[in-house]
Amino acid sequence: MKIVVLAKQVPEADKVAVDPETGTLIREGVTSILNPYCEYALDQAAKLKVDYPELEIEVIAISMGPPQAKMALLRCLELGADKGYLLSDRKFAGSDVWATSTAIKEGVANLVPEFDLILAGKQAIDGDTAQVPAEIAEQLGVPQITYGVDVKINNKRVEVKREVETGYQILSARMPALVTMSKGNNIRRIPSMRAVLDARKKPLEVFSADDLNIDEEKIGLSASPTQVDKIFAPPSKTGGEIVDGSDPKVAARKLFEYLKVNGFLRM
Amino acid sequence: MSENIIKALELEEIPFEEIRSIQGEIIITDSYPSYLVDESKISGGKAEWLFFPNTEQEISTIIKKMREEKQKITISAARTGIVGSAVPFGGAVIALEKMDKIIGIGLDEDEKRWFVRVQPAISLNEINDFVKTKKFIVSQSIPKEENYVQQFCEDCAYHYPVDPTEMTASIGGTIGANASGARTFKYGATRDWIKRLRVILATGEVLEIPRGKYKAKDGRFIIQSGGKDHIIEIPNYEMPIAKNAAGLFAEPDMDLIDLFIGSEGIFGVITEADIWIKEYNPHMSNVAFFVNEKDAINFVKKIRSSEKLKPDFIEYFDNNALTLLRNKQKEDPKFVNMPPIREDIKTAISFDVFYSEEYLVDYFTEIEQILKESNSSLEDTWSAYEEREIDRFKHFRHAVPEIVNNIIADRKKQYPSIHKLGTDMSVEDQHLADMMEFYHATLTEAGLEYVVWGHIGDNHVHVNILPRDMNDLELGKQLYKKFAKKAVEFGGSVSAEHGIGKIKHEYLEIMYGVEGVNQMRAVKNSLDPDNVFNAGNIFVEEKS
Repeated sequence: MKIVVLAKQVPEADKVAVDPETGTLIREGVTSILNPYCEYALDQAAKLKVDYPELEIEVIAISMGPPQAKMALLRCLELGADKGYLLSDRKFAGSDVWATSTAIKEGVANLVPEFDLILAGKQAIDGDTAQVPAEIAEQLGVPQITYGVDVKINNKRVEVKREVETGYQILSARMPALVTMSKGNNIRRIPSMRAVLDARKKPLEVFSADDLNIDEEKIGLSASPTQVDKIFAPPSKTGGEIVDGSDPKVAARKLFEYLKVNGFLRM
Repeated sequence: MSENIIKALELEEIPFEEIRSIQGEIIITDSYPSYLVDESKISGGKAEWLFFPNTEQEISTIIKKMREEKQKITISAARTGIVGSAVPFGGAVIALEKMDKIIGIGLDEDEKRWFVRVQPAISLNEINDFVKTKKFIVSQSIPKEENYVQQFCEDCAYHYPVDPTEMTASIGGTIGANASGARTFKYGATRDWIKRLRVILATGEVLEIPRGKYKAKDGRFIIQSGGKDHIIEIPNYEMPIAKNAAGLFAEPDMDLIDLFIGSEGIFGVITEADIWIKEYNPHMSNVAFFVNEKDAINFVKKIRSSEKLKPDFIEYFDNNALTLLRNKQKEDPKFVNMPPIREDIKTAISFDVFYSEEYLVDYFTEIEQILKESNSSLEDTWSAYEEREIDRFKHFRHAVPEIVNNIIADRKKQYPSIHKLGTDMSVEDQHLADMMEFYHATLTEAGLEYVVWGHIGDNHVHVNILPRDMNDLELGKQLYKKFAKKAVEFGGSVSAEHGIGKIKHEYLEIMYGVEGVNQMRAVKNSLDPDNVFNAGNIFVEEKS
């Protein structure tokens, strides 16, 4: 059985700020990581490998990104993937969610045509669109189940426990299928030193658009129906009243009056 | 050429009335209680005056005025110390929190090293943030006519490598304490990173002390201040080779700056420091697991002597600490946020090494060999190098003390005056295994609940005794003294990193004897005869 895990390299979200002048992300000094939701997908794949030894599961991690996205795939290899494929080409640059899903769909169809299951993170923590996995499923014509927290395999069907607002739902679909993973109660795993070392010996290959015979018209900026016009930080809250604290006595009196007048104090 | 005579410089005086002050014990107790405690949580702190100076001139003026008023002075910054050094028992508090700026960046052309000039109350976190993101503006070059800011911005990533765990500590406080921590194993303590200090003395005059300029001659310094020559006779006790933060630094040909570093503020107020910074190297965090402690100690001995690996630090968790973690993992897995720790594991060793893809295989091959010789394996060792994972490992290392503090807080409900007993002792390399055995045997025989964790790379672990009742507490205190004597016997220190402060005087005496402590008193007496600064830190005024 072949499981494809989709992986994305993202900047560490809590350390990224938006440059108010240019509207671009300030990435200086911010390190890149494997998107945490992709890591949950990979953890699930590794768990399935252990749970169903009879299925002889092979896990293949696929990513699209610049050459340095290899590091995200390396982490996948450390955490249990058997192979890593990076789709990297200037021609992919500027792709929106649709063009990205096209490229990845082509990658999957070309490199792992006999896949049984695709596991993806529910979304990436940088763009937060949560659209790419769904669009890949559509383009591949396979069923999709989103927001999974646990996956079982049962006689050519995949059974997914998924989060809903009121609790959990169990859905199943025939394979091949695509499942996106949520955080759930998972504690992310930590690779052993052996796994880190062995990852460096596993196959990690890079493919260009030409290698995959992808039609140039379908990828990149020109094939993207949507474009990001501007990125900006949400405006900070205005209004309210700032109490001048230079004289603590006066400030405390003011605060006290405010709390009293507005009914926050029971006297 | 170095010299042993230094002249203090006068500071311009300003009208005292222009300086913000809070006066009155009641108002300070009611409205400013946080200035009466620190992380030692010792109670009874009180003060008659409280100041928030902005400049050296203000500090000088305050000191002179307080001396007229016959008030003692306690120096206060971040109050993160755990031996009560910043807790005042009467007199005035000089809170330095307004003096929290980065002054600039300079390049020492001779040493080819960058340094940062800072005010005393800036936190280590802020310094690192500033240095890492290179927030300097052009006018912050030291000296101004050089273009060091641009040069620094074009250079690689830097950091201030002293990491005493509590990174909200102020630089001034860490200099006063000669703070250290896990990374001291590789990078040394605060002392090694201080290039220059400015200190205001009891006369209100300031000393400007660059490292290398003033060295002791014939066992003494002469400090000219307030129209007098203050003769400083350097104590003649021998300091341990092991990691040490107990009492005053003393060596026959010592640098004057070292007298002030680690002096717990008893000689004056640090108002400015030049600190070295260092290239930031990416590193990997690892945790190795062992089924018995002997193997773990064997691993420590081997890895610390490896020329190739040169770990940043080597940290230890005993079986009791791991049991606390395992129990917590069952009850609240997210608190520990690590995969389950196997039940048969008795000891864990956490160690950081330099990370580079180029050397990774080479490093791991060496680590594998050492692990094998210690009955562990690469398979049994966690490893990470992504920054968020490194943060996760750091959190893991700090989880044990946090769990201990929670347990004690819970027990306080029944016994309000109960507290944990945390040791801070180091020994020489060759006594590590013996000391560990002594801890375990003594504590097990006494039937006390305890955990051991800490900086085993420096033979410096923290034994935390968790008393279940007041009898346990009393028994624990007796054992504490026993441990201190043993540590000294093993060539170590009674306080390797926390300092003596107001709560460890008796252990300092175990280490240096009454004579040694009296020699420290003599230094204090010469420089601050009226005992103006930080009374009760390191020793009490009266000779015993």
